Formats: sequence, structure tokens, C-alpha cells
Amino acid sequence: MDILTFTTQQHWTTWFAVYLFLGGMGAAVVAVSFLTHMYLREEKELVMWGALSGVAMMVVGSGMLFLHLLNKWAIFYIVSPYGVFHKPDSWIAWGSQFIVWIQIAAVLYALPYMVEKPRLLGWPVVGNVLKMPIVLQVAGVAKKIHPILGWVGIVTGIGTAVYTGLLLQSFPAVTLWHNPAVPILFTVSAFSTAMAWLLIVMYTFIYHRVDHSIRALYERIDLGLITAELIIVFSFFNFTLSGSEGGYRSAEMLWGSNGWLFGFVLFGLIVPLAMELKCVFGSWSGKAPIVTASLLVLNGGFQLRAYFMAAGIYAYPW
Amino acid sequence: MTHYAMVIDLATCVGCNACMAACSLENQTPVWADHWRTKVHDREVGDGHGITRRFIPRLCNHCDNPPCMTVCPSGATYKTKEGVVLVEVERCLGCGACAMACPYDARYPATSDDIDTGKEYYGKLQRKSPSMDKCSFCYHRLLKEGEPACVQTCVGYARMFGDLDQPNDPVTQLVRSGKARPLMAHLGTRPNVYYIPER
Repeated sequence: MDILTFTTQQHWTTWFAVYLFLGGMGAAVVAVSFLTHMYLREEKELVMWGALSGVAMMVVGSGMLFLHLLNKWAIFYIVSPYGVFHKPDSWIAWGSQFIVWIQIAAVLYALPYMVEKPRLLGWPVVGNVLKMPIVLQVAGVAKKIHPILGWVGIVTGIGTAVYTGLLLQSFPAVTLWHNPAVPILFTVSAFSTAMAWLLIVMYTFIYHRVDHSIRALYERIDLGLITAELIIVFSFFNFTLSGSEGGYRSAEMLWGSNGWLFGFVLFGLIVPLAMELKCVFGSWSGKAPIVTASLLVLNGGFQLRAYFMAAGIYAYPW
Repeated sequence: MTHYAMVIDLATCVGCNACMAACSLENQTPVWADHWRTKVHDREVGDGHGITRRFIPRLCNHCDNPPCMTVCPSGATYKTKEGVVLVEVERCLGCGACAMACPYDARYPATSDDIDTGKEYYGKLQRKSPSMDKCSFCYHRLLKEGEPACVQTCVGYARMFGDLDQPNDPVTQLVRSGKARPLMAHLGTRPNVYYIPER
């Protein structure tokens, strides 16, 4: 009776880590760029990049989940707002609503700026769509309700990032996932990768069109987020070391893996933290160090989720 | 009220797998993919001349607090008033969250390919669309006052089925006496499949 089998699962593998990574980061990108636009500076380029790249990430991430559904027609049960009233205790039902509404809010929020942007208007298909009278009317309405759209994007963005962790927390047989720190870790990681992505955008594509103070602020916030993530990761290490056999086996898998140690902890957290510290408070200047550090943070964000999925050890009673 | 539960006596399970055969025919499960609604696991215990085989049949535990039902985003997984956890096939997305949430490994995917294969294997197939699948305690048989196919076919009478709301039901008495115990009770799932350990 008390013999236990410890094993990993084969249902949600690396593809699910892509969903968690892109979904969390995309949502946080939208939330961060909206907050910046609403309360710091009206950076039109940044909010367009944030909204559209965030939507693109969530489309790809959600697409990974959609492709793996056995019965794709049943998706209508969860994309309709009724879904969350029917199943308010399911985090996937909430997450689906967040992802739907954040994408609508993001596109509408960016639309008034898109219809004014000559480069976009010159694009073959996109330009023609943006010049359509109905689109111009929608853009006008969207401009009038900008604060509402902004807050829809911020709330659903934070909600989506938290949801990616709450989802894993819902699985009681896995010690690594079923604990209160998982949503916190995934939320911090989502916002850290969002900062990293927006820093890359601001240092490469729109360097001269964004005020330097925004970049400097993002660098400092990202420093805090990476530090918080390091603390949470090491508290996980301490938590899994004792208390349950499944947790201990997860710890053995993670901390015995070079990919986790070097790919995530060292080059996904510690090295970018040191590089950003040197950029913010030290002598490093120029674009290369911060872009490199941000790329490492993005890689670390994906590694975290991929290893978390792989190291979820189930304890079955036979 | 009715509160269905099953008791499995591990001392009398001989590992004949008749329950697996009966269940697969009754419920047309995708056995070609090694997916069963009930499966008898076996394990060698001891060593040398003292080595023996032990069997533990497992199935959905029809928990009173089922994590698979909580995570289900569409409400496809639901509980009947008798405590049986069922899946509404047409409503199930097949996202797999229930399989991830189940601490008893009782969920598996029944895919479109399985439907095609099932038509050849079983002839007329009840299933029309893919979904996550699981044991239903043969609910269609319970409605006709029958019992699950695995219980009816068990040659060693290792499986017993009853109503926990009936004090004189042998299953109720085994559970109340503490002889039959649930698996992984510490997870708070309140399972309704109980096991009598080997003596």
C-alpha cells in the first residue's frame, strides 16, 4: 500500500513551457508598456511595440495550447465570457478570458497610433486595413476610452502572468508545483522577461524614439525583479530539499542538471544581474551589454519553465 | 441519498486482469494505446526464494474533492448526485489539465486516431468525439441498478461496490471499520476507492 512510484508526466512537455513563457511574457509586456504610457511618458512607439509584440507572443503561446487540444471545437466553451461564470474555480477558464481580453485591449489601445503612423500605412495589406473608414472610427472611439482600455490591459496582463503559476499550483500530486511560491515566481519571471524584451526593443528598434529615462528606469526595475527571482529560486531549493520525497527528487533533477544550473541559474539570472548592475551603477555603457543581458534573461525565462515542467515529479501510490 | 464507493481487497486480487478486459469491452477503451480505465499494476516484492508478486488495481477514485474537476476549464468534468465523477465528452477540450491534476494517474487521452482504430477494433463505437477519458464506475450500468463491469467479473471477489450512505452495506462497514483505506488521503481529495492491504 505504501509503495510509491515516482515519475514525470508526458502530457504537458516543452510545448507547454513555450505557452507559459510566451503567454506570461506577452501579457506582462502589454501591462508594463501600458503603465508606462499612462503614468510615466506618452511614448507612442513603445506602447505600439509593447501592445503588438505582446499580442504576437500570446497568439503564438496560445496557439501552442490550441494545437494540442484533442477537441478544438470545444474551445468555444472557454473563450466565451460565459465560460468563466460556468467554471469560476478553474484557472484555465480565467486565464482564457484574460488572454482574450488583453489581446482585444492591446490592439485597440495601439490602434489610434497605428492609424497615424506613415510607415505602417505604407505596408501592403496592413496599410489598406488601417485606412478603412470603420477602422478609423474604431480608432477614434478607442482614443476616447483609452484609460479604460489601458486598465483592462493592465489588470488582465497581471492576471495572465499570475495565472501561468496558479495553473501549475492546481496539481496537488507534484510538490514542486503545488506550493504558494509558484505563482509568485512565474509572475516575477514574466515581468522580468517583459522588461528584458522591452529593453531590447528600446535599445535596438526604437533607440532614438524613446526617452532615455524610460530605459534607465526599466533597467533598475529589472535588477530588482532578477534579484527577487533569485531569492525565490533559492527558497524553492530549500523547500524541496526536505519534507517530501517527490520534492526531493525534483530538487535532485533540477540541481543535478547542468542546464538548470548553468542555463538558468547562472546565465539566466546571475550573469545578467551582474551585467545589469555594471550597466546601471558601474562603468559599462553602450547598447551591447544591456542587450546581451536582456537576451540572457529571456533565455532564462524559458529555461525556468521548461525545467519546471520536466522536473514535476508525481508520486503514485503503486 | 446515494454515495457510491468501491473497496478492493489486495489480498484476494490474483492479477488475472479480467477486470481490465471486462472494462475495456464495456467502455470501448483504447487498449491499443495502453490506455485503460482500470489497470492492474504488479510489483515483485522480496528477493531470492521469498520473492512474490503483488497486485494493485487502480482506477479513478471518484473523489469527493476531485482536483480534475476543479481544473477543468469547460466544466466537462462533473460529479453526479451519487458522487460519480463523469466527463461530458462533447464539452471536453482535451487540454489534459485533468490528467495533470489527478494524483491517481486515472486520466488518459482518447484521440481522433483512437476513434478511427476503435471503429475497426470494437465495430460500432459509442464515442463520437475525442476527449480525456476515465472510469465512470460504469454509470450507465448503475442507472439500471447494476454494478461496474470490473466488479461483476472479478473472479476473486476482490472488488466490492456499494453505497456509503447505507450503514448495513458491506462496503460501508469495511470503510467505517478502518480495514479499507483510501490512497493518498493526505492530498485532501477524499477518494471513494478504498483498499484492504495484503495481510
